[in-house]
Amino acid sequence: MAKTSAYAASASELHAKELIRIENLGKVYDTGAIKVVGLYNINLNIQKGEFVAIMGQSGSGKSTLMNILGCLDRPTLGHYYLDGVDTAELYPDELSAIRNRKIGFVFQSFNLISRTSALKNVELPMTYAHVSKKQRRKRALELLDKVGLSARYDHQPNELSGGQRQRVAIARALANEPPLILADEPTGNLDTASSIEIMELFTELHREGATVVVVTHEEDIAEFTHRILRFRDGRLQSDKRKNAAGEWEETLQREEERKETHV
Amino acid sequence: MFENIAMAFSAIRANKTRSFLTMLGIIIGIGSVIAIVSIGDSMRGLMTDLYKEVGINRVVTYISYEVEEYRMSDYFTIDDLEQIQEAFPEEIAYLDFQSSDSQDAIYGRNRLKIYYTGINSGYDKVQPVNIIHGRMINEDDVQNRKKNIVLEKNTAIQLFGTDDVVGRSFRSSINKDLDDYYVVGVYEKSMSAFAALMMGTGGDGEAYAPYTLMVDPDTWNFSLNFYVADGVDQSILQPKFVRYLAKMKDRSENLITYYSAKDEMGQWDTILASLSVAVGAIAAISLLVGGIGIMNIMLVSVTERTREIGIRKALGARTRDVLMQFLTESAIISAFGGVIGVLLGVGLVSLGGAALGVAVVVRPSVVLLAVSFSAVVGIFFGLYPASKAAKADPIDALRYE
Repeated sequence: MAKTSAYAASASELHAKELIRIENLGKVYDTGAIKVVGLYNINLNIQKGEFVAIMGQSGSGKSTLMNILGCLDRPTLGHYYLDGVDTAELYPDELSAIRNRKIGFVFQSFNLISRTSALKNVELPMTYAHVSKKQRRKRALELLDKVGLSARYDHQPNELSGGQRQRVAIARALANEPPLILADEPTGNLDTASSIEIMELFTELHREGATVVVVTHEEDIAEFTHRILRFRDGRLQSDKRKNAAGEWEETLQREEERKETHV
Repeated sequence: MFENIAMAFSAIRANKTRSFLTMLGIIIGIGSVIAIVSIGDSMRGLMTDLYKEVGINRVVTYISYEVEEYRMSDYFTIDDLEQIQEAFPEEIAYLDFQSSDSQDAIYGRNRLKIYYTGINSGYDKVQPVNIIHGRMINEDDVQNRKKNIVLEKNTAIQLFGTDDVVGRSFRSSINKDLDDYYVVGVYEKSMSAFAALMMGTGGDGEAYAPYTLMVDPDTWNFSLNFYVADGVDQSILQPKFVRYLAKMKDRSENLITYYSAKDEMGQWDTILASLSVAVGAIAAISLLVGGIGIMNIMLVSVTERTREIGIRKALGARTRDVLMQFLTESAIISAFGGVIGVLLGVGLVSLGGAALGVAVVVRPSVVLLAVSFSAVVGIFFGLYPASKAAKADPIDALRYE
């Protein structure tokens, strides 16, 4: 596939396909007495259509990066361009709008709204996007059909299994056709069979052209993806990609090399 | 907006008991405000009705009791009466002494105490008198001191065993004149139960007699009883009349007592109105307490639903969306409480009114005010919890367990 060799493509082509660009990004938590550094000088690009895993132990900075990628938090230093928009200096309501239109979240603990039907849950992002009631319902039913839950559209979250809940959450993430699907430990609360089902669903979405970023600490989950970003102590440690032969190759560029490529 | 209302209803339904208990504060507050204000209004209505029966245009006037030495000329004679009527032909529609006599009436073996009210001709023009048989006391009866009587229907039944007794006579002794008295008419009283209670009849019979029967031409009467013609401004008539009477009786104007039913009713009305406002205001404090209850519950609800707020924000809810969601919820709880409170208040007052046989007055403006006030209470006390929810940080909110 083209994306496996994307890093070798020309600069202009890169720009057109680029979804995420992170430049010299840093995050410092100022608790008053002490300053805790969450991320150090991160530089990375993710192209449209990539299927990426972000890995690292707790405290590695992967959750911090996840929050920034999801526009739930803003970087202290540097820039994060999502779909060409610099998110560093946006107001909270502008970030809400970006989360609504450009990002589809899938969480470890599903985060469906309780006592609310699967259908209503899937409709929710469209409600905030002011999609008409009729259209919302139509699209939500289509999406539930896509994740194989059309028969259970009126079930509430507590009437669904873990795997089913996560599939509702994925349908919800797709509601506004966001360019980025951001999944935070999506299989963390699921058994193996359900985990595989969910990852296969992401693989299918990726095959259809979606950009999927999965945060995980499980190697076998990361194996489903085509690129693994490893973090350690707030730094990007490794950036491996699967080549055409299906083998992992380290592609993390040295600082000086990176600058040369991007002139 | 519609979405917010739908969400608010599902949240309220999800916590039925709690929502109801929260509403209860508003229900009691609004209910008591409505009930108290309506009771006040109904009392005023009753007072007005009562004075209408007495006659709103009625005036009683006499030389004040405070006079040190009462002179014979302070009393009124029939001549005085005629003189006054001639002096105020337009303004005074009806005039008599306030004369009455309570005497036994005998017909066959029946004996009944009758309270005779001495009236002038034209009494039925200033007071509602419902004649069912015969006629009212007329000019001729008064002028010629005829022993003609108009009996009250029940009095006639008690005395004669039937109400159609025009032309019959009975024995009685009005003004110490034991003689036969002739029934020329029968009237029916149309008094409210409350008015009857207030004015009282003591079970005695009632009848109208020419006032000239009650008084001798040379007797002296203490007070004048008259009805002002419709459309006459009493504030103009009063000083004019007092001045006239003072001159007639050679007394200073401040010794003339001029007692107007309209004035007295106005005073009662003012007292009752301010009373119901005062008590209503106290009841409104319970509304405030209800409002604080709403705020308290909404704060609990916001804390409980922190995670939901986080999810909504992550999915794109703006500050305003979350604010509106919680505001709508508290406004709906409050408005619902208000509507139920109104129904309860009106229901209670109507029930009480039906039990007492009293017409209940519920002003629509009061109902409207109460319901809109309850919605304002809901919005005001919902504002703080809602803004707390709206300002929540999505990361913290999502992490909240």
